[in-house]
Amino acid sequence: MSAAAQREARRTEALDSFRVRGMPHRRFEHWRYSDLRAVLDAGQVAQAGTAKWNIEHLPEGVELFDLSVQDAPEWVMKTLGHVGNRRTMVEASLAFSEGGVALRVPKGKHIAEPIKLEIGGQGNLRWLIVLEQGASATVFEPHAHDAGYLRNVGVEITLAEGAELQHVRCAPLAPRSFTVELMALELAKHAKYYGHFANFGSRLSRTEAHIVLGGEGAEAHLSGVAVLGHEAHSDVTTHIEHAAGKTLSTQLFKHVAGGKSRAVYQGKITVRDGASGSDSRQTARALLMSPRAEADLKPELIIFNDDVKCAHGATVGDLDPESLFYLRSRGIPEKDARRLLINAFLEEAVDVIGNDTLKETIWHDIEAALPRAMEAAK
Amino acid sequence: MLEIKDLHVSVDGKKILKGLNLKVETGKVHAIMGPNGSGKSTLSYVLAGRDGYEVTGGSIVYNGEDLLKMKTEERAAKGIFLAMQYPVEIPGVTTMMFLKSALNAQKRARGEPELDAMGMLKLVRAKAKDLQVSEEMLKRALNVGFSGGEKKRLEILQMSLFEPKMAILDETDSGLDIDALKLVAEGVNTLRAPDRSMLVITHYQRLLDFIVPDRVHVLAGGQIVKEGGKELALELEEKGYADVVKVPA
Ligand SMILES: Nc1ncnc2c1ncn2[C@@H]1O[C@H](COP(=O)(O)OP(=O)(O)OP(=O)(O)O)[C@@H](O)[C@H]1O
Ligand SMILES: [Mg+2]
Repeated sequence: MSAAAQREARRTEALDSFRVRGMPHRRFEHWRYSDLRAVLDAGQVAQAGTAKWNIEHLPEGVELFDLSVQDAPEWVMKTLGHVGNRRTMVEASLAFSEGGVALRVPKGKHIAEPIKLEIGGQGNLRWLIVLEQGASATVFEPHAHDAGYLRNVGVEITLAEGAELQHVRCAPLAPRSFTVELMALELAKHAKYYGHFANFGSRLSRTEAHIVLGGEGAEAHLSGVAVLGHEAHSDVTTHIEHAAGKTLSTQLFKHVAGGKSRAVYQGKITVRDGASGSDSRQTARALLMSPRAEADLKPELIIFNDDVKCAHGATVGDLDPESLFYLRSRGIPEKDARRLLINAFLEEAVDVIGNDTLKETIWHDIEAALPRAMEAAK
Repeated sequence: MLEIKDLHVSVDGKKILKGLNLKVETGKVHAIMGPNGSGKSTLSYVLAGRDGYEVTGGSIVYNGEDLLKMKTEERAAKGIFLAMQYPVEIPGVTTMMFLKSALNAQKRARGEPELDAMGMLKLVRAKAKDLQVSEEMLKRALNVGFSGGEKKRLEILQMSLFEPKMAILDETDSGLDIDALKLVAEGVNTLRAPDRSMLVITHYQRLLDFIVPDRVHVLAGGQIVKEGGKELALELEEKGYADVVKVPA
C-alpha cells in the first residue's frame, strides 16, 4: 500500500472512531470540568476546516515535511496517527485536517535556535516532532489570537534515547475562541521533555498532554501559568505514565483567575509495575482574584509499584493580606502591591523555562494579561 | 507632629483600644511600654493603616491632617513608617527590588525624582554596610529565611532609606542579641533629628538605655495610663506593671 493510501485508511479509522464517540462531555473521564459537547457540536468540528501553521525560519539541521503532501516519508508514516492513545478529539484532528507539519532532528544534532512554530486560524491541525537519538531542540509554539470560533490541534512527539526537547506553548488572549490541543509524547531511555504551557484566556481552552516515560531514566518536566479574567476557562490536563525504572516527572502549575474565570488543572500520574525507583512531584496552585472566579485542582496518583517516590500538593487561595499590608505600608500603591505579589506567585513556574528570550516573552504576556485578571467580576 | 484623641479601636468586633490619648512632639522620641496584649501593636497598625482595624471613635491628627482619611501607602509617602514586630516573608520578591519599588513609589507620590538602578544600589549599599546587611541578603527574597535579627535589621535599613518623619518601632529589640541591639540602636540614634519623631514600643529598659526617650507612656487595657520621663521606664523595670499602674478593667 502506498503511503497516501495508508494515510487515507488511518484517516477513515479516525473518522469512524470520532463518529461513534462524538464530542467529549461531562461524563467522559477527565472532561468533567470542561464540557466540550455543551458548547460545540461534532458538525462544527468536522466543518471547521484546517488551521494554519507557519515557520518563518527553519533552523539549519531540522527536517520539515508538509503534511498536506500525501506521499509522506517513512519517519512521518511511523508517527502520524500512531503516538499515544486515540482520544476522540485527537481522532477528529486527524480526520478533519488537510495539513500540518512534521519536524525531525537527526541523530546527535543540537539545534540551539528555537524553532518558532506559529499556529493560527480556525480549524483542525496536526503537528509532530521526532527527535532522534541524542538530538536536542527547542520548539516555541505561539498561537495567534485570531482563533476564530474553534481550533483543534493534535500533537505527537517522540524522543529517542537521550534526546531532549524544550517546548513552550503560549496561547494568548482569545476571548471568543474554543481551543483544544491534545499532545501525545513517548520518551525513550534518558530522553527529557521540558514543557511549558502558558494560557491567557479563551472561552474554553483545553491543553492536554499524555506522556509515556517508556525508557529507563526518562524525564518529563512540566510547568505552566494561566492568567485569566472575565469569563475565560482554561483547562490543563496531564497524564504522565511512569512505565520504566528510574523515571522522573515534575510538574509546577500556577494559575491566576479573576473575574468569572475558571482555572482547571487535572494531573494524573500512573506508576507502572516496572517503574521501580521512579520519582514524581506535582504542584498546582491557584490564586483567586475575585469571589466569582473558580479553580479546580485535581492531582491523581495511581501506583502499581511500592518502590517509588511521589509528592503532590494543590492549593487554592487569594493574596495574603499581611503581605499586601506590608508592601503598602512601605508606600507601594495597592494596585502595584497586588501586581508584585501576583508576579511573585507566578515566578517559579516561569523561571524554569530554560530559554531567556522565551522567558521574557512569557513575562511580557503575563504583564499584558494581568489587568484583566485583576478585575473582580462585574 | 501626631495627636491621638480618645481613640477607640476594635478588631473582629473585639474592643482593644478604649479611649487612648497620646501626643507625640516633633523631634522627640516617645517610648510606649505595657503588658502583653495591652494594644501596643494594635496602635501601631492603626497608625500605619492596616485593614481590619476598625476605628469606632476618636481622632488622629498628623501634621495638621486627618490621618485616618489617608490610605496606607499615602501615609508612608507622607512620612509614617512602621518597623513591624513580625516582618512578613514574601517569596518571589527580591529584597533589593522591593526596596527600590518602595522608595521610588514614595518619591513618586511626593513628586520627587526617582532613583535609577545604579543610584539605588549605591544608596542601599552605603546604608546596608552600617547595619551589617549583606549583599547576599539583598539578593534573597524579602525576609525569606532571614533570622529574627536579620529581619529587624532590614526594618531599620528601610527606615534609614525612607527617612520617615514619624517612625514607629514595634519591639524592634525583641529577638536581638546584645551586639545586634547596639547596632540597631545606633542606626536609630543616627536618625534622630529635629524634624523626625519616634514612637518606640518595647518591653525592656535595655533598649531605652541605648535609645534614650524624651517621654515614656504606659499602655494598659487599651489606654495610656501613665506618663513620665525616662526614669519611668526604670521604675517599671524594677517594680513591674502591677505596682506602677492600675490597669483599667
Ligand atoms: N484579629 C484579632 N482578633 C481578635 N483579637 C485580636 C486580634 N488581633 C489582636 N487581638 C487582641 O488584641 C489585644 C492586643 O493585641 P496587640 O497585639 O495590640 O498587643 P501588644 O500590646 O502588642 O502585645 P505584645 O506585647 O504581646 O506584642 C490582644 O488581646 C490580642 O489577642
Ligand atoms: Mg505587640
